[in-house]
Amino acid sequence: MLTALRIDPRDNVAVVLRNVQKGEEVLVNMKTGAVHLTAQSDIPFGHKIAVSCLLVSEPIIKYGEEIGNAKTPIQSGEWVHLQNIYCERGREN
Amino acid sequence: MHTFYGYRRQQGLPGVRNWVAIIPSVFCANTVVRRIAQQVVGAVELTHPVGCSQVGLDLELTAKALKGVGRHPNFYGVVVVGLGCERFQAQELADSIAAMGKPVEMVVIQEEGDTQKAIDKGVRLALKLVEQAAKQQKEEFPLSELCLGLKCGGTDSTSGIAANPALGWVTDQIVAEGGSAMLTEVTELIGAEHVLARRAVTPEVGQKILETVRNMENKLKVGTAHSDLQNRSALISPGNEDGGVTTVVEKALGGIHKGGTGPITGVLAYGEPIGEPGLYILDCPGHDGEAVTGLAASGCQVVVFTTGRGTPTGFPGVPVIKITGNTSTFERMKFNLDFNAGEIIDKGLSIPEVGAGLLQKVIETASGVPTKAEIGMNDELFCITRSYGG
Repeated sequence: MLTALRIDPRDNVAVVLRNVQKGEEVLVNMKTGAVHLTAQSDIPFGHKIAVSCLLVSEPIIKYGEEIGNAKTPIQSGEWVHLQNIYCERGREN
Repeated sequence: MHTFYGYRRQQGLPGVRNWVAIIPSVFCANTVVRRIAQQVVGAVELTHPVGCSQVGLDLELTAKALKGVGRHPNFYGVVVVGLGCERFQAQELADSIAAMGKPVEMVVIQEEGDTQKAIDKGVRLALKLVEQAAKQQKEEFPLSELCLGLKCGGTDSTSGIAANPALGWVTDQIVAEGGSAMLTEVTELIGAEHVLARRAVTPEVGQKILETVRNMENKLKVGTAHSDLQNRSALISPGNEDGGVTTVVEKALGGIHKGGTGPITGVLAYGEPIGEPGLYILDCPGHDGEAVTGLAASGCQVVVFTTGRGTPTGFPGVPVIKITGNTSTFERMKFNLDFNAGEIIDKGLSIPEVGAGLLQKVIETASGVPTKAEIGMNDELFCITRSYGG
Protein backbone atom coordinates (compact mmCIF):
# COMPACT_ATOMS: atom_id res chain seq x y z
CA MET A 1 0.00 0.00 0.00
CA LEU A 2 1.37 3.36 -1.11
CA THR A 3 2.37 5.62 1.70
CA ALA A 4 3.43 8.58 -0.43
CA LEU A 5 2.31 10.08 -3.72
CA ARG A 6 4.69 11.68 -6.22
CA ILE A 7 2.36 13.81 -8.32
CA ASP A 8 4.57 14.46 -11.36
CA PRO A 9 7.59 12.43 -12.60
CA ARG A 10 9.80 15.57 -12.26
CA ASP A 11 8.96 16.06 -8.57
CA ASN A 12 11.69 15.69 -5.95
CA VAL A 13 9.20 15.56 -3.08
CA ALA A 14 6.24 13.24 -2.43
CA VAL A 15 3.13 13.79 -0.29
CA VAL A 16 2.71 11.30 2.57
CA LEU A 17 -0.79 9.81 2.63
CA ARG A 18 -0.90 9.02 6.34
CA ASN A 19 1.06 10.03 9.48
CA VAL A 20 4.54 8.52 9.18
CA GLN A 21 6.86 7.71 12.09
CA LYS A 22 10.59 8.27 12.25
CA GLY A 23 12.43 5.23 10.90
CA GLU A 24 9.41 3.87 9.00
CA GLU A 25 9.77 2.66 5.46
CA VAL A 26 7.85 4.87 3.04
CA LEU A 27 6.75 3.49 -0.34
CA VAL A 28 6.58 6.15 -3.07
CA ASN A 29 5.06 5.52 -6.48
CA MET A 30 7.41 6.30 -9.42
CA LYS A 31 6.95 5.65 -13.15
CA THR A 32 9.83 3.17 -13.20
CA GLY A 33 8.61 1.34 -10.10
CA ALA A 34 8.10 2.00 -6.43
CA VAL A 35 10.88 3.57 -4.38
CA HIS A 36 11.55 2.87 -0.72
CA LEU A 37 12.63 5.67 1.58
CA THR A 38 13.28 5.71 5.30
CA ALA A 39 11.55 8.56 7.12
CA GLN A 40 14.21 10.64 8.92
CA SER A 41 11.63 12.01 11.41
CA ASP A 42 7.91 11.86 12.12
CA ILE A 43 6.01 13.32 9.15
CA PRO A 44 2.34 14.37 9.48
CA PHE A 45 -0.33 13.32 6.98
CA GLY A 46 -0.26 15.48 3.84
CA HIS A 47 3.25 16.81 4.41
CA LYS A 48 6.19 16.35 2.06
CA ILE A 49 9.05 13.86 2.14
CA ALA A 50 12.24 14.37 0.07
CA VAL A 51 12.57 11.72 -2.60
CA SER A 52 16.24 12.47 -3.27
CA CYS A 53 19.05 14.50 -1.69
CA LEU A 54 18.92 18.23 -2.26
CA LEU A 55 21.66 20.84 -2.02
CA VAL A 56 21.28 24.29 -0.47
CA SER A 57 19.25 26.59 -2.75
CA GLU A 58 18.27 23.71 -5.03
CA PRO A 59 14.67 24.09 -6.32
CA ILE A 60 11.98 21.95 -4.72
CA ILE A 61 9.77 20.54 -7.49
CA LYS A 62 6.12 19.59 -6.87
CA TYR A 63 3.36 19.40 -9.52
CA GLY A 64 6.25 19.56 -12.03
CA GLU A 65 7.00 23.19 -11.06
CA GLU A 66 9.35 24.96 -8.64
CA ILE A 67 7.59 25.68 -5.36
CA GLY A 68 10.59 27.05 -3.48
CA ASN A 69 14.27 26.36 -2.69
CA ALA A 70 16.16 24.40 -0.06
CA LYS A 71 17.33 26.52 2.89
CA THR A 72 19.63 23.74 4.18
CA PRO A 73 20.95 20.52 2.61
CA ILE A 74 18.13 17.96 2.63
CA GLN A 75 18.56 14.19 2.82
CA SER A 76 16.29 11.78 1.07
CA GLY A 77 13.52 10.67 3.45
CA GLU A 78 13.61 14.01 5.30
CA TRP A 79 10.46 16.00 6.15
CA VAL A 80 10.35 19.04 3.83
CA HIS A 81 8.49 22.06 5.26
CA LEU A 82 9.00 25.57 6.71
CA GLN A 83 12.18 24.57 8.55
CA ASN A 84 14.13 23.77 5.39
CA ILE A 85 12.51 25.53 2.42
CA TYR A 86 11.96 29.14 1.46
CA CYS A 87 10.05 30.79 -1.34
CA GLU A 88 10.78 34.20 -2.87
CA ARG A 89 7.22 34.84 -4.06
CA GLY A 90 4.86 36.45 -1.60
CA ARG A 91 7.62 37.37 0.82
CA GLU A 92 8.22 40.78 2.33
CA ASN A 93 11.40 42.29 0.80
CA MET B 1 -24.90 15.33 -22.89
CA HIS B 2 -26.08 16.29 -19.41
CA THR B 3 -29.05 18.47 -18.44
CA PHE B 4 -30.36 20.20 -15.29
CA TYR B 5 -33.71 21.68 -14.26
CA GLY B 6 -33.96 25.43 -13.71
CA TYR B 7 -36.08 28.56 -14.04
CA ARG B 8 -36.07 30.48 -17.31
CA ARG B 9 -35.40 34.24 -16.96
CA GLN B 10 -36.28 37.14 -19.27
CA GLN B 11 -32.61 37.69 -20.06
CA GLY B 12 -29.44 35.72 -19.44
CA LEU B 13 -28.89 32.30 -17.90
CA PRO B 14 -31.62 30.31 -16.13
CA GLY B 15 -31.77 30.32 -12.33
CA VAL B 16 -31.27 27.19 -10.26
CA ARG B 17 -33.38 28.63 -7.43
CA ASN B 18 -36.44 30.90 -7.46
CA TRP B 19 -35.96 33.12 -4.41
CA VAL B 20 -37.19 36.65 -3.81
CA ALA B 21 -34.18 38.68 -2.66
CA ILE B 22 -34.50 41.50 -0.14
CA ILE B 23 -31.55 43.81 -0.71
CA PRO B 24 -30.57 47.00 1.12
CA SER B 25 -28.86 49.75 -0.89
CA VAL B 26 -27.14 50.81 2.35
CA PHE B 27 -26.34 49.13 5.66
CA CYS B 28 -28.73 51.42 7.55
CA ALA B 29 -31.61 49.43 6.03
CA ASN B 30 -30.22 46.09 7.23
CA THR B 31 -32.59 45.50 10.12
CA VAL B 32 -35.64 46.37 8.00
CA VAL B 33 -34.41 43.94 5.33
CA ARG B 34 -33.89 41.22 7.93
CA ARG B 35 -37.34 41.71 9.45
CA ILE B 36 -38.99 41.56 6.01
CA ALA B 37 -37.18 38.34 5.10
CA GLN B 38 -38.02 36.80 8.47
CA GLN B 39 -41.74 37.23 7.80
CA VAL B 40 -41.86 35.79 4.27
CA VAL B 41 -40.93 32.18 3.40
CA GLY B 42 -39.24 32.21 0.01
CA ALA B 43 -37.35 35.45 0.69
CA VAL B 44 -33.61 35.71 1.33
CA GLU B 45 -31.87 38.71 2.88
CA LEU B 46 -28.64 40.15 1.48
CA THR B 47 -27.49 42.50 4.25
CA HIS B 48 -24.06 44.14 4.02
CA PRO B 49 -22.00 46.91 5.71
CA VAL B 50 -21.62 49.48 2.89
CA GLY B 51 -23.42 52.13 0.81
CA CYS B 52 -22.66 55.09 3.06
CA SER B 53 -20.02 57.81 2.69
CA GLN B 54 -18.21 56.13 -0.19
CA VAL B 55 -16.63 57.71 -3.24
CA GLY B 56 -14.78 56.74 -6.41
CA LEU B 57 -13.73 53.13 -7.02
CA ASP B 58 -14.91 52.05 -3.56
CA LEU B 59 -18.48 53.22 -4.34
CA GLU B 60 -18.32 51.76 -7.85
CA LEU B 61 -17.37 48.31 -6.47
CA THR B 62 -20.37 48.48 -4.12
CA ALA B 63 -22.62 49.42 -7.02
CA LYS B 64 -21.27 46.57 -9.18
CA ALA B 65 -21.66 44.01 -6.40
CA LEU B 66 -25.24 45.02 -5.52
CA LYS B 67 -26.33 45.25 -9.16
CA GLY B 68 -24.63 41.94 -9.96
CA VAL B 69 -26.35 40.07 -7.12
CA GLY B 70 -29.64 41.93 -7.65
CA ARG B 71 -29.70 40.75 -11.26
CA HIS B 72 -28.70 37.17 -10.30
CA PRO B 73 -30.53 34.40 -12.20
CA ASN B 74 -31.44 32.62 -8.92
CA PHE B 75 -33.73 35.49 -7.91
CA TYR B 76 -37.26 35.59 -9.37
CA GLY B 77 -37.61 39.11 -8.09
CA VAL B 78 -36.18 41.64 -5.67
CA VAL B 79 -37.36 44.09 -3.02
CA VAL B 80 -34.80 46.90 -2.72
CA VAL B 81 -34.80 48.76 0.60
CA GLY B 82 -33.10 52.15 0.91
CA LEU B 83 -32.82 54.69 3.70
CA GLY B 84 -33.10 57.74 1.42
CA CYS B 85 -29.89 59.75 1.87
CA GLU B 86 -27.27 57.16 0.93
CA ARG B 87 -24.57 57.52 -1.74
CA PHE B 88 -25.67 54.41 -3.57
CA GLN B 89 -29.33 55.15 -4.24
CA ALA B 90 -32.01 52.48 -4.08
CA GLN B 91 -33.47 53.79 -7.35
CA GLU B 92 -30.21 53.09 -9.24
CA LEU B 93 -30.22 49.52 -7.97
CA ALA B 94 -33.92 49.02 -8.76
CA ASP B 95 -33.50 50.42 -12.29
CA SER B 96 -30.58 48.10 -13.00
CA ILE B 97 -32.61 45.07 -11.90
CA ALA B 98 -35.67 46.18 -13.90
CA ALA B 99 -33.48 46.50 -17.03
CA MET B 100 -32.97 42.70 -16.86
CA GLY B 101 -36.74 42.23 -17.06
CA LYS B 102 -36.73 41.02 -13.44
CA PRO B 103 -39.66 42.02 -11.17
CA VAL B 104 -38.46 44.60 -8.65
CA GLU B 105 -40.08 46.70 -5.92
CA MET B 106 -38.63 49.47 -3.80
CA VAL B 107 -39.15 50.71 -0.23
CA VAL B 108 -37.39 53.80 1.14
CA ILE B 109 -37.44 54.10 4.93
CA GLN B 110 -37.30 57.91 5.13
CA GLU B 111 -40.19 58.15 2.63
CA GLU B 112 -42.36 55.61 4.45
CA GLY B 113 -41.73 57.35 7.74
CA ASP B 114 -40.34 54.76 10.10
CA THR B 115 -39.06 51.17 10.12
CA GLN B 116 -42.40 49.61 11.06
CA LYS B 117 -44.09 51.20 8.06
CA ALA B 118 -41.17 50.21 5.82
CA ILE B 119 -41.25 46.61 7.08
CA ASP B 120 -45.03 46.44 6.56
CA LYS B 121 -44.76 47.68 2.98
CA GLY B 122 -41.77 45.44 2.27
CA VAL B 123 -43.52 42.33 3.59
CA ARG B 124 -46.59 42.96 1.45
CA LEU B 125 -44.45 43.51 -1.67
CA ALA B 126 -42.33 40.40 -0.94
CA LEU B 127 -45.44 38.30 -0.41
CA LYS B 128 -46.80 39.34 -3.80
CA LEU B 129 -43.50 38.43 -5.51
CA VAL B 130 -43.27 35.06 -3.72
CA GLU B 131 -46.80 34.19 -4.87
CA GLN B 132 -45.88 35.05 -8.48
CA ALA B 133 -42.62 33.09 -8.23
CA ALA B 134 -44.46 29.99 -7.00
CA LYS B 135 -46.41 29.83 -10.26
CA GLN B 136 -43.22 29.40 -12.32
CA GLN B 137 -42.40 25.84 -13.44
CA LYS B 138 -38.90 24.44 -13.91
CA GLU B 139 -37.68 23.61 -17.41
CA GLU B 140 -34.90 21.35 -18.64
CA PHE B 141 -31.67 23.07 -19.74
CA PRO B 142 -28.41 21.72 -21.21
CA LEU B 143 -25.14 22.15 -19.28
CA SER B 144 -24.25 24.92 -21.73
CA GLU B 145 -26.62 27.11 -19.65
CA LEU B 146 -24.63 26.54 -16.46
CA CYS B 147 -21.87 28.79 -15.15
CA LEU B 148 -19.97 27.21 -12.26
CA GLY B 149 -18.05 29.26 -9.72
CA LEU B 150 -14.81 27.64 -8.51
CA LYS B 151 -13.47 28.35 -5.03
CA CYS B 152 -11.10 26.86 -2.52
CA GLY B 153 -10.55 27.82 1.11
CA GLY B 154 -9.06 26.26 4.23
CA THR B 155 -6.52 24.61 1.93
CA ASP B 156 -4.39 21.73 3.08
CA SER B 157 -2.31 19.35 0.99
CA THR B 158 -5.30 17.15 0.12
CA SER B 159 -6.79 20.11 -1.75
CA GLY B 160 -4.11 19.91 -4.46
CA ILE B 161 -4.11 16.15 -4.87
CA ALA B 162 -7.78 15.20 -4.45
CA ALA B 163 -10.47 17.87 -4.14
CA ASN B 164 -9.18 20.38 -6.71
CA PRO B 165 -8.30 17.77 -9.39
CA ALA B 166 -11.78 16.21 -8.98
CA LEU B 167 -13.35 19.65 -9.40
CA GLY B 168 -11.03 20.33 -12.36
CA TRP B 169 -12.38 17.19 -14.04
CA VAL B 170 -15.92 18.57 -13.59
CA THR B 171 -14.85 21.97 -14.96
CA ASP B 172 -13.42 20.30 -18.08
CA GLN B 173 -16.69 18.37 -18.62
CA ILE B 174 -18.90 21.41 -18.22
CA VAL B 175 -16.82 23.56 -20.55
CA ALA B 176 -16.64 20.68 -23.08
CA GLU B 177 -20.47 20.65 -23.14
CA GLY B 178 -20.57 24.39 -23.90
CA GLY B 179 -20.95 25.64 -20.33
CA SER B 180 -18.84 28.07 -18.34
CA ALA B 181 -16.76 28.25 -15.20
CA MET B 182 -14.89 30.95 -13.31
CA LEU B 183 -11.63 30.70 -11.40
CA THR B 184 -10.94 33.61 -9.04
CA GLU B 185 -8.99 34.56 -5.88
CA VAL B 186 -6.15 36.21 -7.73
CA THR B 187 -4.03 36.28 -4.53
CA GLU B 188 -4.14 32.48 -4.69
CA LEU B 189 -2.81 32.45 -8.26
CA ILE B 190 0.52 34.05 -7.32
CA GLY B 191 3.25 31.66 -8.43
CA ALA B 192 1.07 29.78 -10.92
CA GLU B 193 0.19 32.57 -13.32
CA HIS B 194 2.63 31.35 -15.99
CA VAL B 195 0.91 27.96 -16.00
CA LEU B 196 -2.47 29.66 -16.56
CA ALA B 197 -1.17 32.14 -19.16
CA ARG B 198 0.01 29.18 -21.30
CA ARG B 199 -3.64 28.06 -21.57
CA ALA B 200 -5.00 31.42 -22.75
CA VAL B 201 -6.90 31.35 -26.04
CA THR B 202 -4.91 34.35 -27.35
CA PRO B 203 -1.59 36.00 -26.38
CA GLU B 204 -3.58 39.09 -25.27
CA VAL B 205 -5.56 37.02 -22.78
CA GLY B 206 -2.29 35.43 -21.59
CA GLN B 207 -0.79 38.89 -21.05
CA LYS B 208 -3.92 40.01 -19.19
CA ILE B 209 -3.64 37.01 -16.86
CA LEU B 210 -0.02 37.87 -16.02
CA GLU B 211 -0.87 41.56 -15.47
CA THR B 212 -3.86 40.76 -13.26
CA VAL B 213 -1.76 38.56 -10.97
CA ARG B 214 1.16 41.01 -10.89
CA ASN B 215 -1.13 43.93 -10.01
CA MET B 216 -2.53 41.96 -7.11
CA GLU B 217 0.97 40.99 -5.94
CA ASN B 218 2.05 44.65 -6.06
CA LYS B 219 -0.98 45.75 -4.05
CA LEU B 220 -0.09 43.16 -1.42
CA LYS B 221 3.56 44.34 -1.32
CA VAL B 222 2.42 47.93 -0.79
CA GLY B 223 0.02 46.82 1.90
CA THR B 224 2.65 44.89 3.83
CA ALA B 225 5.66 47.17 3.25
CA HIS B 226 5.59 48.92 6.62
CA SER B 227 8.14 47.46 9.02
CA ASP B 228 5.54 47.33 11.82
CA LEU B 229 3.34 45.05 9.74
CA GLN B 230 5.81 42.29 8.95
CA ASN B 231 3.99 39.88 11.24
CA ARG B 232 0.87 40.46 9.10
CA SER B 233 2.44 39.72 5.75
CA ALA B 234 1.96 35.96 5.34
CA LEU B 235 0.17 34.85 2.19
CA ILE B 236 -0.45 31.43 3.55
CA SER B 237 -2.31 30.73 6.76
CA PRO B 238 -1.49 28.67 9.85
CA GLY B 239 -4.14 26.21 8.68
CA ASN B 240 -2.42 25.84 5.30
CA GLU B 241 0.93 25.20 7.02
CA ASP B 242 -0.46 22.68 9.51
CA GLY B 243 -2.07 20.97 6.56
CA GLY B 244 1.29 20.50 4.78
CA VAL B 245 1.29 23.47 2.38
CA THR B 246 4.63 25.25 2.80
CA THR B 247 4.83 28.02 0.19
CA VAL B 248 2.45 30.34 -1.60
CA VAL B 249 3.52 28.86 -4.96
CA GLU B 250 2.71 25.34 -3.74
CA LYS B 251 -0.71 26.54 -2.64
CA ALA B 252 -1.35 28.23 -6.01
CA LEU B 253 -0.26 25.20 -8.05
CA GLY B 254 -2.60 22.99 -6.04
CA GLY B 255 -5.40 25.54 -6.32
CA ILE B 256 -5.37 25.97 -10.09
CA HIS B 257 -6.22 22.27 -10.53
CA LYS B 258 -9.83 23.21 -9.90
CA GLY B 259 -9.78 25.05 -13.25
CA GLY B 260 -9.15 21.77 -15.09
CA THR B 261 -6.91 21.62 -18.15
CA GLY B 262 -8.83 23.49 -20.82
CA PRO B 263 -8.26 26.83 -22.55
CA ILE B 264 -8.89 30.10 -20.72
CA THR B 265 -11.19 32.40 -22.67
CA GLY B 266 -10.71 35.67 -20.83
CA VAL B 267 -10.24 37.70 -17.66
CA LEU B 268 -13.32 39.36 -16.13
CA ALA B 269 -13.39 42.48 -14.00
CA TYR B 270 -15.36 42.55 -10.73
CA GLY B 271 -19.07 42.55 -11.53
CA GLU B 272 -18.56 41.81 -15.23
CA PRO B 273 -20.81 39.07 -16.66
CA ILE B 274 -19.49 36.48 -19.11
CA GLY B 275 -19.79 37.03 -22.84
CA GLU B 276 -19.29 33.82 -24.78
CA PRO B 277 -19.21 30.56 -22.77
CA GLY B 278 -15.89 29.20 -21.57
CA LEU B 279 -13.46 29.18 -18.63
CA TYR B 280 -12.65 32.61 -17.23
CA ILE B 281 -10.48 34.14 -14.56
CA LEU B 282 -12.36 36.65 -12.41
CA ASP B 283 -10.35 39.44 -10.80
CA CYS B 284 -11.21 39.16 -7.09
CA PRO B 285 -9.02 38.85 -3.98
CA GLY B 286 -8.59 35.71 -1.88
CA HIS B 287 -11.03 36.56 0.92
CA ASP B 288 -13.54 33.68 0.82
CA GLY B 289 -16.55 35.99 1.01
CA GLU B 290 -15.28 38.58 -1.47
CA ALA B 291 -14.41 35.81 -3.95
CA VAL B 292 -17.79 34.07 -3.76
CA THR B 293 -19.56 37.45 -3.88
CA GLY B 294 -17.59 38.22 -7.05
CA LEU B 295 -18.57 34.85 -8.56
CA ALA B 296 -22.23 35.53 -7.74
CA ALA B 297 -22.11 39.13 -9.01
CA SER B 298 -20.73 37.86 -12.34
CA GLY B 299 -23.62 35.37 -12.61
CA CYS B 300 -22.44 31.92 -11.41
CA GLN B 301 -25.60 29.99 -10.52
CA VAL B 302 -23.73 27.36 -8.43
CA VAL B 303 -20.40 27.54 -6.60
CA VAL B 304 -18.23 24.54 -5.72
CA PHE B 305 -15.96 25.27 -2.77
CA THR B 306 -13.14 22.84 -1.98
CA THR B 307 -11.87 22.87 1.59
CA GLY B 308 -9.18 20.78 3.25
CA ARG B 309 -9.62 22.14 6.77
CA GLY B 310 -13.43 22.55 6.53
CA THR B 311 -15.72 25.59 6.44
CA PRO B 312 -19.47 25.85 7.07
CA THR B 313 -20.02 28.96 4.98
CA GLY B 314 -22.70 29.63 2.36
CA PHE B 315 -24.13 32.47 0.23
CA PRO B 316 -27.71 33.79 0.33
CA GLY B 317 -29.60 32.43 -2.67
CA VAL B 318 -26.67 30.72 -4.42
CA PRO B 319 -25.94 27.05 -3.59
CA VAL B 320 -22.34 26.56 -2.42
CA ILE B 321 -21.39 22.88 -2.67
CA LYS B 322 -18.63 22.12 -0.17
CA ILE B 323 -16.23 19.35 -0.96
CA THR B 324 -13.11 18.12 0.80
CA GLY B 325 -10.25 15.83 -0.20
CA ASN B 326 -9.60 15.05 3.46
CA THR B 327 -11.70 12.15 4.72
CA SER B 328 -11.08 12.94 8.37
CA THR B 329 -12.32 16.50 7.80
CA PHE B 330 -15.39 15.09 6.05
CA GLU B 331 -16.12 12.70 8.90
CA ARG B 332 -15.81 15.46 11.51
CA MET B 333 -17.68 18.14 9.60
CA LYS B 334 -20.20 16.30 7.40
CA PHE B 335 -23.01 18.30 8.96
CA ASN B 336 -21.68 21.23 6.91
CA LEU B 337 -19.99 19.50 3.93
CA ASP B 338 -21.56 17.96 0.84
CA PHE B 339 -19.02 15.65 -0.84
CA ASN B 340 -15.93 13.65 0.10
CA ALA B 341 -13.22 13.51 -2.57
CA GLY B 342 -10.87 11.96 0.03
CA GLU B 343 -11.56 8.51 -1.43
CA ILE B 344 -8.94 9.41 -4.05
CA ILE B 345 -6.38 9.23 -1.24
CA ASP B 346 -7.66 6.56 1.10
CA LYS B 347 -9.40 4.19 -1.32
CA GLY B 348 -7.24 4.84 -4.39
CA LEU B 349 -10.25 5.84 -6.51
CA SER B 350 -9.32 7.63 -9.74
CA ILE B 351 -9.91 11.32 -10.38
CA PRO B 352 -12.46 10.64 -13.19
CA GLU B 353 -14.41 8.24 -10.94
CA VAL B 354 -14.71 10.79 -8.15
CA GLY B 355 -15.15 13.63 -10.67
CA ALA B 356 -18.16 11.84 -12.19
CA GLY B 357 -19.74 11.62 -8.73
CA LEU B 358 -19.09 15.33 -8.18
CA LEU B 359 -20.61 16.25 -11.55
CA GLN B 360 -23.72 14.30 -10.54
CA LYS B 361 -23.78 16.28 -7.29
CA VAL B 362 -23.51 19.58 -9.21
CA ILE B 363 -26.40 18.61 -11.50
CA GLU B 364 -28.58 17.42 -8.59
CA THR B 365 -27.87 20.63 -6.69
CA ALA B 366 -28.66 22.79 -9.72
CA SER B 367 -31.90 20.86 -10.19
CA GLY B 368 -33.08 21.51 -6.64
CA VAL B 369 -31.35 19.35 -4.01
CA PRO B 370 -30.26 21.80 -1.26
CA THR B 371 -26.67 21.96 -0.02
CA LYS B 372 -25.81 21.67 3.69
CA ALA B 373 -25.11 25.41 3.70
CA GLU B 374 -28.58 26.18 2.29
CA ILE B 375 -30.26 23.89 4.82
CA GLY B 376 -28.27 25.55 7.60
CA MET B 377 -29.13 29.03 6.28
CA ASN B 378 -25.40 29.87 6.17
CA ASP B 379 -24.95 33.20 4.41
CA GLU B 380 -21.54 34.35 5.62
CA LEU B 381 -20.04 34.70 2.15
CA PHE B 382 -21.88 37.84 1.04
CA CYS B 383 -18.99 40.31 1.42
CA ILE B 384 -18.60 43.32 -0.83
CA THR B 385 -15.03 44.23 -1.84
CA ARG B 386 -13.77 47.64 -0.66
CA SER B 387 -11.12 49.78 -2.28
CA TYR B 388 -9.20 51.89 0.18
CA GLY B 389 -7.60 54.21 -2.34
CA GLY B 390 -5.26 51.46 -3.60
